[in-house]
Amino acid sequence: MTAGTALVSLGQGKTASAAATSRSAGSDGRAISFDDDWRFHRGEGQGFEALGLNDTTWRRVDLPHDWSVEDIPGGQPPDQLGPFDKHALGGNATGFTVGGEGWYRKRFRVDDYPAEAMIEILFGGAYLETDVWLNGRHIGGNVHGYIPFAFDLTPALNRKGDNVLAVRVRNLGRNTRWYAGSGLYRQVTLDVLPASTRIARWGVASWTRRIEGGRAEIDITTRIEGARADMGLVTRLRDENGAVIAEAVAPVDAEVSQALVVRGPRLWSPESPALYTLETELRQAGRTIDRTEQPFGIRIVTFDPHRGVAINGTPIKLNGGCIHHDNGLLGARAFADADERRIRLLKARGFNAVRSSHNPSAASLRSVCDRLGMLLIEEAFDVWHESKEPQDFATQFRAHWQDVISAMVLPARNSPSVIMWSIGNEIPSRATDEGVHWAWTLANAVKKLDPTRPVTAGLNGVLGAEMIAGAATVRPGMAGKRDNASTIFLDVPGYNYRLEEMQREFARHPERVVYASETFPKNMFDYAELSRHEPSFLGEFVWTAMDYIGEAGIGAQAQLKTGSPPFYIAGWPWVNAWCGDLDLLGYQKAQSLARDVAWGLSPLEMAVQRPVPEGMFEWVSAWGWSDELESWSWTGSEGKPLAVRLYSSADRVALLLNGEPVGERNLAPGDKMRAELRIPYAAGVLEAIAYRGSAEVARRRLETVGGAARLRLLPERHRIESSRQSLAFVPIEVQDKAGRRLPDDQRRIRLNVIGAAEIIAFGSADPIGTGSLQTPETQTFRGRAMAILRSQGEPGAVRIEARSEGLPVASTTIKLV
Amino acid sequence: MDAPLFPPATDFVQPRRLPQRLSAAQTPIAILKTIPQAWAIVTREIPGMDRRVGSDQIRPHLNNFSLESLLPFGAVPRDAVARIDSQFLALGMEW
Repeated sequence: MTAGTALVSLGQGKTASAAATSRSAGSDGRAISFDDDWRFHRGEGQGFEALGLNDTTWRRVDLPHDWSVEDIPGGQPPDQLGPFDKHALGGNATGFTVGGEGWYRKRFRVDDYPAEAMIEILFGGAYLETDVWLNGRHIGGNVHGYIPFAFDLTPALNRKGDNVLAVRVRNLGRNTRWYAGSGLYRQVTLDVLPASTRIARWGVASWTRRIEGGRAEIDITTRIEGARADMGLVTRLRDENGAVIAEAVAPVDAEVSQALVVRGPRLWSPESPALYTLETELRQAGRTIDRTEQPFGIRIVTFDPHRGVAINGTPIKLNGGCIHHDNGLLGARAFADADERRIRLLKARGFNAVRSSHNPSAASLRSVCDRLGMLLIEEAFDVWHESKEPQDFATQFRAHWQDVISAMVLPARNSPSVIMWSIGNEIPSRATDEGVHWAWTLANAVKKLDPTRPVTAGLNGVLGAEMIAGAATVRPGMAGKRDNASTIFLDVPGYNYRLEEMQREFARHPERVVYASETFPKNMFDYAELSRHEPSFLGEFVWTAMDYIGEAGIGAQAQLKTGSPPFYIAGWPWVNAWCGDLDLLGYQKAQSLARDVAWGLSPLEMAVQRPVPEGMFEWVSAWGWSDELESWSWTGSEGKPLAVRLYSSADRVALLLNGEPVGERNLAPGDKMRAELRIPYAAGVLEAIAYRGSAEVARRRLETVGGAARLRLLPERHRIESSRQSLAFVPIEVQDKAGRRLPDDQRRIRLNVIGAAEIIAFGSADPIGTGSLQTPETQTFRGRAMAILRSQGEPGAVRIEARSEGLPVASTTIKLV
Repeated sequence: MDAPLFPPATDFVQPRRLPQRLSAAQTPIAILKTIPQAWAIVTREIPGMDRRVGSDQIRPHLNNFSLESLLPFGAVPRDAVARIDSQFLALGMEW
């Protein structure tokens, strides 16, 4: 805050909540946390919006919240386990979780705020159909589950007394193809704003127009509501130390255009995500009337068929992954710590891009992508005018598509991580006349709001009839030229599972720049090869980078009787997709080991296929991977040949078992970096060696582990912030006495947590539902479980104890500071 | 280096659709189902095809999928698709 100015004054340290709140965005009066101290009721209700309702018996919750991941009230095993219900309406799609109706209420006072201030509430997102009342008066609603929406509270506010905000959220019918969650699963904030003139919400649009000669030129356009001639707009760029490095001042109008020049700019890229702060100040007679600030990265992203995608002139390939919005065991709850964790995990695996499938991402995820350097494709829709599920957004599309486009683009257009806007995923009937018209409508609606980024979509199947459009209709340079119905209005088409077709099309459409917007894990080596040789191919986005609840068993594998049809449908009790490179807890699965090799992170990885009993064969779904484990512990398979899979970029791989050579393979290009050796199992040490020429380049080792001897808690951090939004991730391993994880162990574990944090999730990566994700008891899967603790909002310490039958108690302590 | 711009178009006029020959690679299944001679070829070569494309998961996508584009999902046999395409070529029809 600039010294000497007076803003809309707030009481010192006060927020809108009765309880102390955690954080604001730093712009005075804006983004005041409204997450804490809500009351929640799960179930239908009449009159729950009434001011005088006694809600003291309702459960207290602090946002973000998701009731679909909570245990079903009165759940009856075996058909109801924790949040999972065998007869859930959503079936496989929602991972057998349920929706329903829920109500939230929050009391607050505004006497500390100036009497003339305008007060708005912003919901980061709610699933699904939301209605909001203030003091019993309906003030608005929202029908899309993944966009932010705001309401002006001012007309219905009681300035001198208690106010009650009531929110009804309904998640009804079959409305989603994946786990969506239910409720206020993203954060809620208040903005205390000047009464008559302000910087419009999401009204700042900034972009780097040119980088040349050691300077960056940045254009900014700012929308002002209630503009007055005696006001001025100051736009500044500050560096990481807070120093002002560029500033522009202009008189105020409804829309103000300004330009900044930065000498010696630090450019933003995935490798070096340098961020500045873009500060916008509305001033009058020497006073600051309103102010916003947001991170800004100076970068230019280009797309062309000769160089592919380039960031600041340097070509890169997109090593991408699709991600759904859920945070695994947390359900849909959008905690910044959880979003940061998964982006860090993906960066560590070489991912430099994610596709927010199939909806706009949470502000917390986008913020992490900006800070850590993860490129992001934002996506608006999974359906347009025709549904995939009977009650999905197609029922609302015609009335609300514009809201979604605006809510996707406006909040995100200043994020350096966002490189493309996707107008849809696998849209039914997109190549019909109506579909083509919708594609034009959506693409151009996006471009009117942000002409600085290309429009894309995820295209499955075929691209539709060839067609020709005129100059006023089509993209620049394409007038009178042949294009396909699905691609004609896209700047950068994304192809879902079109590997063979894509390769055929390069010659037919050399003007196209394309990427693989969804890929099967099994094709990773093909896409890596394509990336090496085809400049117009931007890279792949695997389905998926990380496992998610819902689309249960899409990546399943099964052992079937020999002679059976090679076909398996994963139904109950499968609850998670099991197609991700990383499992639900964020650990590498075998396909991720292979990708480490495909993407050049590692020259050699090794895994062993789970033994297939005689008379059976392994079936793997199109999105799946063979049931391979990093394990050489196969009691009962002594003497039987096991399939050892080696992934390597080297010329030759060799295996040693207990020091003795047992096999080797030369690797040719046609092997796609994969070799399989069948080795009779004997306990001990299995070692793989990779050679280039005669030089050894890598070794990998698997050992037969002993029996379970202990539990080990391995907190990812021993000190966390004490704010209510802070999370501690505590993996738990079952280990032998040498400290090695038992790679296939399943046993019950019970936790006891004492101190300044609470368990908000406890479970495993098991794709089969085994019970609650929120009680202090769970079952390990592959020798692991994970507890996620949430700070109670005060500094202190939390001690976690883990118990399992026959093993000594294990414990650890985490400090909250 | 200048940043690229992707300006909006000004006016929508429905693009002119060019005739395409019937093919197993490019013709959407939804279109094939509207051409009795074509669908008869399909169901003869792939018995039970109506059932295969009748599920809730696949039905919304029949305007997007051709026979050949179902191959990566293991939903149709490759040799049958090749035979169908030859017969489509012999039909000499467009869509």
